[in-house]
Amino acid sequence: MSRHGHSRTPPRRPGPLQLSPAERERYDRQLGPGVLSEEGQLRLKGASALVTRVGGMGGPAAQMLAMAGVGNVIIAHGGEMISPDLNRQVLGSENVLGQPRATEFAAYLRTMNRMINVEAIDHEPDDAEAFELARRCDIILSCPPTFAERLRLNRSAVAAGIPLIDAAQWGMTGTLIVVRPGQTACLQCVYPNEPPFEELFPVVGAISCATGALAALEAIKILSGTGKPLFGRLLTYDGFVGRPSVVELKRNPNCPVCGHI
Amino acid sequence: MKIRITYLGRRYQHAEVLPEQLNLADGATIADAVDEVNALLHDTTLPGSCLVTVSGEHVGSVDRFTDRALREGEELVLIAPVAGG
Ligand SMILES: [Zn+2]
Repeated sequence: MSRHGHSRTPPRRPGPLQLSPAERERYDRQLGPGVLSEEGQLRLKGASALVTRVGGMGGPAAQMLAMAGVGNVIIAHGGEMISPDLNRQVLGSENVLGQPRATEFAAYLRTMNRMINVEAIDHEPDDAEAFELARRCDIILSCPPTFAERLRLNRSAVAAGIPLIDAAQWGMTGTLIVVRPGQTACLQCVYPNEPPFEELFPVVGAISCATGALAALEAIKILSGTGKPLFGRLLTYDGFVGRPSVVELKRNPNCPVCGHI
Repeated sequence: MKIRITYLGRRYQHAEVLPEQLNLADGATIADAVDEVNALLHDTTLPGSCLVTVSGEHVGSVDRFTDRALREGEELVLIAPVAGG
């Protein structure tokens, strides 16, 4: 498939031929009817996922990918952990306060699953690095605080022709947008002008965790070829009143990012 | 004509001043409904980036959407974009 072509499902690299006995034992509860096939689990093992950043949503998302057996989990997050992070950043702990997030979080993820590889990037990728990362990944989970970073990850995913899952939150609300380049609306179609962003947004960790876990579930489905992904839709869960909402997103034929595909 | 309205996303607490339904003149359009919501919001207005959806169909954002006549019982869902990390 061309770099500018449609997204790939399953991942571009051929997976390993079989699961080891230890892997079969580890993933026993997620193999079978209604969950993953052995072939799907092998696809996960051969897959590479980029999660940036790994705070309130990206942290639990990366954890669920690692525990599910995604073979290569790449996490990106700059800076050191501070106390207000600990209301939602589940990869951290009191012991990590003042320590660099990416390396500490990667070390924690490795303790959750010895059979996968975890790469840590201790900064937010710029345009060039995001494009490079997208080319060697099968999926991007977009979980940064700013729209500028989200739109950058979207451009990289579309250029590489890989799916992007955008997870976002505010207060007690969480949203997911699942992009399949060339077939569904991309983030730039949805947000032609960068929406306003507030640095100190309010958030309750429970919605961060739920949103991140749902982002991971979509990634697991896409990578393993299981179930029906939320491609092209926006899922909103308004936790303040307990209301889910799903809408089909419209593509912009003149989108500067995906309109040419 | 009655239509249902829902406001989701950033600063969802503004929705507390909104009724569950709008009473609009027959033949009213999405733009009329958006104007009515803005009039009902006391201290703010809908952001231009707020997504506009009608009965599950995404028609654009507040600053640019495809207008059309509304039908009795349709649901207007407005979703103010969220980011956060
Ligand atoms: Zn687009």
